[in-house]
Amino acid sequence: MKYFLQNLLKTIPVLLLITLIVFLLVRVTGDPVSLMLPETATDEERESLREALGFNDPLPVQYFTYLSDLVRGDFGESFRYNTDAFALVLERLPATFELAFASMIVAIIISIPLGILSAVKRNSFLDLFITGGAVLGKAMPSFWLGIMLILFLAVNTQIFPVSGRGGLLYLVLPAITLGTGIAAEMTRLIRSSMLEILGQDFIRTARSKGLKEALVVNKHAFRNALIPVVTIMALQTSTLVGGTLITETVFAWPGLGQLLVQAVNLRDMAVVQAATFLIAIFVILSNLIADLTYRLLDPRIKYD
Amino acid sequence: MKKKIFSLLLILILIVTGCSNSDKEGAVGEAPVEKSDSKTLVIANGTDLSSFDIHNHNTTSTEAVHVNMFNYLVKNGGEDGFLPDLAESWENVDDKTWSFKLKEGVKFHNGEDLTADDVKFTLERVAKDDTLLEYGSYKQIKEVVVLGDYEFQIITENPEPALLNRLSRLGSSILPKDYIETEGWDVFLEAPVGTGPYKFKEWKKDDRLTIEAYENYFGEPAKWEEVVFRSIPEDSTRVSELLTGGVDIAVNIPPTDLKRIESTEGVDILKSPTQRVMMLVARTGGDGPTADPLVREAIDLAIDKQAIVDSLLEGAGKVTRTRVTPGNVGANEDLYEKTLYDPERAKELLKEAGYADGLELSLSSPNGRYLKDKESVELIAAMLQEVGITVNLELLEWSSFNQKYQERSFGDLFYIGYGNSMFDASLALDRLKKEMAVGETDYDNPETESLLVTAESNMNLEERAEQYKKAQELIAEDRPQIYLYQLESLYGVNDRVSFEPRLDEMFYVDNITLK
Repeated sequence: MKYFLQNLLKTIPVLLLITLIVFLLVRVTGDPVSLMLPETATDEERESLREALGFNDPLPVQYFTYLSDLVRGDFGESFRYNTDAFALVLERLPATFELAFASMIVAIIISIPLGILSAVKRNSFLDLFITGGAVLGKAMPSFWLGIMLILFLAVNTQIFPVSGRGGLLYLVLPAITLGTGIAAEMTRLIRSSMLEILGQDFIRTARSKGLKEALVVNKHAFRNALIPVVTIMALQTSTLVGGTLITETVFAWPGLGQLLVQAVNLRDMAVVQAATFLIAIFVILSNLIADLTYRLLDPRIKYD
Repeated sequence: MKKKIFSLLLILILIVTGCSNSDKEGAVGEAPVEKSDSKTLVIANGTDLSSFDIHNHNTTSTEAVHVNMFNYLVKNGGEDGFLPDLAESWENVDDKTWSFKLKEGVKFHNGEDLTADDVKFTLERVAKDDTLLEYGSYKQIKEVVVLGDYEFQIITENPEPALLNRLSRLGSSILPKDYIETEGWDVFLEAPVGTGPYKFKEWKKDDRLTIEAYENYFGEPAKWEEVVFRSIPEDSTRVSELLTGGVDIAVNIPPTDLKRIESTEGVDILKSPTQRVMMLVARTGGDGPTADPLVREAIDLAIDKQAIVDSLLEGAGKVTRTRVTPGNVGANEDLYEKTLYDPERAKELLKEAGYADGLELSLSSPNGRYLKDKESVELIAAMLQEVGITVNLELLEWSSFNQKYQERSFGDLFYIGYGNSMFDASLALDRLKKEMAVGETDYDNPETESLLVTAESNMNLEERAEQYKKAQELIAEDRPQIYLYQLESLYGVNDRVSFEPRLDEMFYVDNITLK
């Protein structure tokens, strides 16, 4: 518990730094007023809008105002929707979580059997096939995979709906799109982690005791191989969030990723800031949870 | 151990299925639309609508949705002139006063009656609050004087011949005063109330807006039970939805997908002109080469606009020599669908202007703002090279382009596409008035200037239109703006509906019918 709290405190300067970076980035990449008003707007109209939105204050003043609002839980108002930015972001979380969890499950279902199989059948044709597939899965850009899945499984064969969020059927294609890259990464990791364990003395001991191979692999080796895999799963959270930006746009999935993409395009500052802030917290927390899960998997690990 | 992993997995699965189950209710409405006897129309836009604050957005696609939920005072009937909508009749009392009579018995979706107080509330809000995006188009309104429940006058700051144009567009839907004042804006934005044939049902942001028929509509009853506007940002996904029958109409079909859709049975492509005219804006003042009218003419003659339309836009554009295209008050149709292309003559003109050995020009263009903008200017640069003009092309991301645009710091030429939500020549030609042209085109032709200035406040509408027509002729000769083509929008349409796209890009869904 103490360890958890200590780490939680450490996140504060990290979050501060993130707010500063995001704050500066959205301001140097372009003027939202130019995107809000048409080409025909007069200089006067632009000026009065800029004044009203507070863009005429010096940057440090703007940042300070932003921070003091933030402390009070006020992330500002979205230019695009004219409503509270943080509420907009929270509204999208269930959709993104749904997609992220489903992708993780796809990744787990694919990677665990394949990873174990390719380690056990090391250097065989099957191993070559699996590791080759993993490289391919990792290298495939997710927007391309998404569009191909739509083309073959939704347009040509009409098994799944093309886009949008609805029942479970709507979840399948986006989850595969997002899960494939992670599955590839995890397969490779499980394989190498298993190989390392399978070469160790206690495995030899287990085998020499006459234990069945299946028992050796599943009970002794896999359990120990899981520790690095959990780390990767936690680290994949950020990949997952990054992936939702593309996957959600391709599948018109109304989650945080799509909100963020649209907000960046329109320089909807308050929304970009609120969304990145939340994502940062999310990534930090998932890393912390990963730390705690180690203990669950290996009681020898202790935190002081 | 195994149990722990297993239970972790189980929890994950439960969460996911839990999430999906909680949405089951929504999922019913989200199942693909059934065809044949269905009473639901599904339209796919490229972006979500931005807000129900009708005064604080300026996106055509948002307004295209709003027009089904709200009403203007008058409708712009194009060639038929202005038609009654919420206003039954109107009269121009004097230069600055217009009196209106409202239809009686019009009810908002919450049951309130529409009265002149609602009109005053709506129009004075946008005319007085300079932080609203639509303020610029309504600040000409000085006040709205309520004469009775159904009678009111609009007083303008100056004579305002284009008032009806203003009142029949984005920002002038009439809002329910009492509802907004008692419930507050936040409630209105979540549960908007209008007078239109369809009322608000549900909005899942970045996913879909659903509206349903309003049974007490004052006009003809709604034709659809429900209309769904989906937001599908990715072009290829939007096309896929169209091909699988997921949506009835899809907007902004990329030209590259034209042939694929045309060759698919059950769907078709419709083209419609838009208000956006692409042009090169030239600096006519100073001592740069484009200050010479011969050089500007040579540039015009050197560019094969039709070739650009055919090759890059797959035919989705119309060449023009004016920015005021048909459907707009004051359009000069003699200059529409006309183009000049004569590279030999262009070379001669350059020789006459003293540039026999060629000349160098700068051309700035946004990259990614307009359909095929980068490709178009590259092609233009190549065409100009053919007659001896070397172009230094500057491609800028939109916000950097816009920065220079506002600072008026472009060189000889820049490429831009102007829209016109007012459907009137005044807005289209505004930037060519001497005062507005400083630092941009520096255009200064006293004859054009006097025509533009008098027309702006001329309450004799026929004479006013003539003045604008004449001004367009002069502009076409002087070429402070070298017009290229009017963009056309491409709609993918399912064969089960009949739909006629409109110049203003609005979806009046009751004009879309089952075949």
